[in-house]
Amino acid sequence: MMNKNMLRIIAKHEIKLLLRNKVLVYLFTIIFFMLLSALWIGSSMHKKQLSTIDKVHAYNKEITDSLVTRIKRIEANNMVYPGFIWDDPTFAYNTARNEGPQYAIKEPFPLQAISIGQSDLQPFYYKVYINKKQYLTYDGEIANSFLQFIGNFDFAFVVIYLFPLLIIVFTYNVLSAEKEQGTWVLLKTSNQSLARLIAFRIAIRYILFMLFFWLLVTTVLVALLGGAFLSTVNWWWTVTYVSLYFAFWFGLSLFVNSFSLSSTVNAMTLIFIWLFTGIIVPNILQIGLNKVYPIPSRISMVNEERKALNSYFEKDGQELTKEVFNNPRTMIRQASVVTPGMVYGYGVIVYKSQEIKDAAAEVAERKLYGQIARQQDAIRQLQLLSPALTLQEQLAAFAGTHWHQFNQFSIAVDTFRKETQRFYFPKMASEQTYRTFTVEDAARIPRFKQQVYAGFDWLNVYIPVFAYAGITGLMIVFGYRRLLHVIK
Amino acid sequence: MIAHIVRKELREIFRTSKMTWMMGGLLVLIALSLYNGYSYYVSHSQMLKESQEVTYKQFISQGNKNPHLGAHFGFYAYKPTAGLAMIDNGIEDYTGNSFYLEPHKRGIIKFKEVTDATSLKSFGFLNIAYLIQFIFPLFIFLICHNIFSKEWENGTIKMLLSSRATKRDIYIGKLIACLCVVFAIIAIIAVTAFMLLLKSDADLGAVIYNYLIYVSGLIVFSAILTSVAVSVSLITRSSTLSLVVLSGCWLAGVFLIPRLAAEISKKVHPSITSIEFEADTFNKMQYGVDGEGTKDYRRELLLRRTLQQYHVDSIQQLPVFFIPITIEYFEESDGKVMDRAYGAIEQNQAQQDALVRSLSLFSPFLAFRDFSMHMTATDMDTHNDFAQKAEEHRRRIGVMVDDFYQKNTEATNAFWKTVPQFRYEPPDTFRRLAASIEAIGVLLCWVVGTIVLMIFSYRRMKI
Repeated sequence: MMNKNMLRIIAKHEIKLLLRNKVLVYLFTIIFFMLLSALWIGSSMHKKQLSTIDKVHAYNKEITDSLVTRIKRIEANNMVYPGFIWDDPTFAYNTARNEGPQYAIKEPFPLQAISIGQSDLQPFYYKVYINKKQYLTYDGEIANSFLQFIGNFDFAFVVIYLFPLLIIVFTYNVLSAEKEQGTWVLLKTSNQSLARLIAFRIAIRYILFMLFFWLLVTTVLVALLGGAFLSTVNWWWTVTYVSLYFAFWFGLSLFVNSFSLSSTVNAMTLIFIWLFTGIIVPNILQIGLNKVYPIPSRISMVNEERKALNSYFEKDGQELTKEVFNNPRTMIRQASVVTPGMVYGYGVIVYKSQEIKDAAAEVAERKLYGQIARQQDAIRQLQLLSPALTLQEQLAAFAGTHWHQFNQFSIAVDTFRKETQRFYFPKMASEQTYRTFTVEDAARIPRFKQQVYAGFDWLNVYIPVFAYAGITGLMIVFGYRRLLHVIK
Repeated sequence: MIAHIVRKELREIFRTSKMTWMMGGLLVLIALSLYNGYSYYVSHSQMLKESQEVTYKQFISQGNKNPHLGAHFGFYAYKPTAGLAMIDNGIEDYTGNSFYLEPHKRGIIKFKEVTDATSLKSFGFLNIAYLIQFIFPLFIFLICHNIFSKEWENGTIKMLLSSRATKRDIYIGKLIACLCVVFAIIAIIAVTAFMLLLKSDADLGAVIYNYLIYVSGLIVFSAILTSVAVSVSLITRSSTLSLVVLSGCWLAGVFLIPRLAAEISKKVHPSITSIEFEADTFNKMQYGVDGEGTKDYRRELLLRRTLQQYHVDSIQQLPVFFIPITIEYFEESDGKVMDRAYGAIEQNQAQQDALVRSLSLFSPFLAFRDFSMHMTATDMDTHNDFAQKAEEHRRRIGVMVDDFYQKNTEATNAFWKTVPQFRYEPPDTFRRLAASIEAIGVLLCWVVGTIVLMIFSYRRMKI
């Protein structure tokens, strides 16, 4: 057994060696600077979302106050509205279009700062109307497609892509450098086990790396986000997964080193494994899954909706339109003055046709989301093929930015929209109710219960941990055994 | 002599088993990329063409309706899949390709495919462009990183320099050998891609020049990378160090600089949020700009003007319907507000893009990506051009419907059929070249920089 003294000597020697390697020191400095930038960028995005949510709340309050004030003024003015009839809030249909729609918000979880995941592509707030799920200016937040295409520079990216390469540079020649520099012969004269020596050198590098990494990351994150996230289970799973990911690369390096090849071949092998598992495997998986579970385009969904609507207007809709449009009370045919009947008529047509559209969309949406969900399930099964993919999936889930969590939010928004429809449709449905929207009604407008959506019960967190811990352990054991052999 | 050196180097390169594995892997990747790109093109172009026809047919056969209600049923303008999208689909999945033509609302392009994709999308989309821009450069570096350094490590440099070959012969010979391998791979890619282009329904006449320019750009791009790799191999004199340096350059150029540039541009030119945009445009439309008054006030003025125009005293006496007149009027005034708002967004995005492009001076990979997207018409400029033409079409339909509505309260299929179908042609080769001038400029700067690096490394070829 190697005694404590010897371990201390090796540790000191390693630290000296690393500090004197200028390439490594520069590389370390650059990558840690990148890490800091990534954390700062992630936290800025998180803060921007929080500030947008504040703006949403302020806007909501302003618009609700304005609605109540206007209704009160009309009621005090014997139900006479001085402006344009389409803006008169005592018409349920008008309120449903104008001030009525409420915002549905997915609150950002603080750990979103470490993995942007799908949060740059999926909206974290919707304005929920009776006739459409969302009404933002764009499909989501206003974003530059070119920049979205380039990708994000977040902690997950730095950890998944950059750190393995740093670890490779850090460890690829632990054994081969000794041979190439001619110090191997000297080492062989030592009375210590050289296999153990090499293994300890890699272990010491791993411990040093971990200590430095987590000290820095935790301190910076606490400074940027406050310390509340430290008490969440998401954080500790994040620490486990990232540490294991690094351990995998250190273990792999030990394994590759144990083949006693030249430094160049070691480096090439490790870079190739990184490229293969980090880029090529996920891409091949993407091709395969798109073949097995092709995701239909939203365009076909729109076509289905329109088809349903057209066939409705060919039959029942024609009757309804005639009834509404030709009705002398609605005076739509007159088309010079907007009458209360006209607002009612439009309201009826809108909600009737919306029911048709929703029914058609539901079928098409089920197809669309069903296929995405199947792909996601398959990814969950196959993620073990790529450590990079595994880590990306888990980090996104712990940060609350996984597709699954956005999907949960989307489902909640759909439910909320139906609730909103149930609130407005009866008030628009008959000539007795369409102009009866009161201050009490304004207070009863359904509000969305905003949530964080950072739970990960749907995710099996143990299998990847055990699988990668097992793979890493096996690589270390086999690598160590090979080292024993190589040294002989 | 140069030919001898080239032959010797090629023999040496192909003799190693790692090269056989690498070339085998690369060929598999090329096949996969071509297949994936071709499938993307076929499925997308067919779907968009069909959808364009389907949505239009739905519109012109919607039956008897109030003209305004019928116009709200609207139809979609779809951006046709670019002929060269099978090579590079650029930002297509990020911009969306559907533009809804509906009254009152300035259309926006919807249905970004990326929002309906899984997290695998963030690893990229394996087609020829991805292979060339992300993976192929690393292969070039792996092939060339030890072309000179091995001579130092094996001690054969002395033998080489003391042979009949001059320094120039050695340098050029080794460079040509590397270029032969790289260009052979490009030839395989270019020929197979061209064959697929022939097989597809893409209009060859319309895309052939763009394709040839694209391939020329690709040759320049790979020549830059090969020359850099050869020079670094000569300067570092250690295979491992040159591999580490080149891999670092690849990582920085392919991932680090573009992503950092994108983040910097977001910070320097922050985008407006959707809620701010909505509140701002709503206020301007409702309360007017530059003191023009509220909507109600402007509607009142319009009524007075219209009554004067028709020399009547009341709305009921008007020979035309007043509602379509108000719709058309506000279509125009709201349109101005929206144009300004969207113009501001486009300007902001153009500033962001320009900043990213300027940082491509540090990354030829980014410059080539930009060039590639422009030549395949899958870039932001083509997207904006499409959006502009679709919006013009929307307004044209709006005017047609409102004019009809002034005299009729019911439209039949006969009227709907008079509404023209939307057709889009992407910008021609000259406009694409003009749009990619910055990227070409950056690539030329890299050519100059590479020549300087080559001269510098050449001078260090001594014992």
